[in-house]
Amino acid sequence: MTPPIKNSSPSARTQAVVTVVLAVYLLGLVLSIVGNTASGSSAVVRTIKSRLFAPWMVPPWLDLGFDYRLTYGSDEEGDFRIEVRRQGDTETAALQLPGRLTGERAARWRRLARSIALEDADRDGLLSAAVGRGMFDRLHAEDVNVRVLRTPLADRGAPPASAVQASSARVRMVDGELQLLRAEPRGEVAPLVRRPGGGEATDGQGKKPAEATR
Amino acid sequence: MKARSSAAARTESTAWSDDGVAAVGDAWNHFWFRHVEAWPLALVRVGAAAIALAAWWSYAADLQAWFGPAGVLPVDTVRQWRSPFGFSLFDWATTPAALTALFGGMGVVFALLLVGFATPVVAPLAAVLWASLLHRGPMLAGPADDCIAILLWCLAIGPAGESWMMLRWPGNRVTSRAPGADWRAGISQGLLQVHVTAIAVAAVLAQLKGDVWWNGEAARYLAAAPRSGAAGLLPLLDRSEYLTNLLTHGVTAFEILFAIGLWCGPTQRLMARIGLVGWPLVGLLAGEPLWGLAMALFALPLAVRR
Repeated sequence: MTPPIKNSSPSARTQAVVTVVLAVYLLGLVLSIVGNTASGSSAVVRTIKSRLFAPWMVPPWLDLGFDYRLTYGSDEEGDFRIEVRRQGDTETAALQLPGRLTGERAARWRRLARSIALEDADRDGLLSAAVGRGMFDRLHAEDVNVRVLRTPLADRGAPPASAVQASSARVRMVDGELQLLRAEPRGEVAPLVRRPGGGEATDGQGKKPAEATR
Repeated sequence: MKARSSAAARTESTAWSDDGVAAVGDAWNHFWFRHVEAWPLALVRVGAAAIALAAWWSYAADLQAWFGPAGVLPVDTVRQWRSPFGFSLFDWATTPAALTALFGGMGVVFALLLVGFATPVVAPLAAVLWASLLHRGPMLAGPADDCIAILLWCLAIGPAGESWMMLRWPGNRVTSRAPGADWRAGISQGLLQVHVTAIAVAAVLAQLKGDVWWNGEAARYLAAAPRSGAAGLLPLLDRSEYLTNLLTHGVTAFEILFAIGLWCGPTQRLMARIGLVGWPLVGLLAGEPLWGLAMALFALPLAVRR
């Protein structure tokens, strides 16, 4: 027997309820698009969206901006990859991800690498620490270096660009506590001052070169 | 005399506004509560389930490496990283066996959706599980994953399992195209149309903020990206700036025309059919083939509607 086909129209009450639900959802859709752009959003949109819509649109993965720019040809694009090695071990080849993987699986590792490299201030180092910690067993070590390398997109007529370091951190376990020592970009580190007589390098305030610890 | 003409003008103005409101109401009801055939939705179901299975499979090999007890994305870290409203059933899969079982069950649910078994239950379950997997590792999710989530929720609303069933309930005959129409199918297909337009518009707006979409170089950067399926075009694009420009502007023009054409009666079916080819090509160029296919699926009901 063929499954029954429902041809009846919805009742007026059903239509009214569905209309309200659709209208609210469509408003949420518009606010999600306006509130999730890379350009940022206004305080009023942010507040309305985060208080009234995000609580029920985020769990089903519907709070989406759809700002699929595909490319801007910018420095933030290109090929991101994670490189993990035991701290101080220059002999063994580093573990590279995605390495030779292809397709969607490789794309997910690239997204993770990009997320590590572009982590905002609030999340600074969170993913690096997690990735480093997750690699302890694989590398049989509790002191590893996690780097993200980025190969920029080459401009027209330019030779293929070489990879540059987008992020680097040392992750280690000390007395059961996970520590992340972030290697700051050279330009952001205070100028080094050598003590007369060849003492240890310090910054201008007499501290050792900065390494963030979490 | 003056008072009488003023009253007449008021009546006329009220009639105009009443007509306007009624017209908007009629258009709304016609769009959302029309009876449309359910079989195109079943085709979307088959396509969405196939794409979801492909995306699901891309997690399989690294499942424990990412989400396992000793994985690189522990639950605590992800909870700090994602939205406070994020929620995942996978958060409770704290052992390798539990994680494998939940993930495997998810594959079974997608397979059941593909064959059209118990779709009214399976489709919402698939949507919940997919959202859960994405929330378990939001930093791994890409454009295709977003579109799959939307597709699955749209399928959960309408009668997506009433035709193109390859596996049946006991007593039900296997059918390829069931006759008849359903207003819930109209809502599902309306939501697909609204979403694909919203995605196209948001994508165009995002793209046009970048210089490369104006100076015509975007296609070359897309082809040069490591994931691009059009890497073979790169030498050609390197040689010909005009070809690069044409391809870039072609993508932008396609997205704009698609978003507009889908809402004009005479062009609707044509644009939907162009979308069936255009979106996968854009996806291939952008290195997001699953996204391109998912975008084409949104347009499928309009392309095949009789």
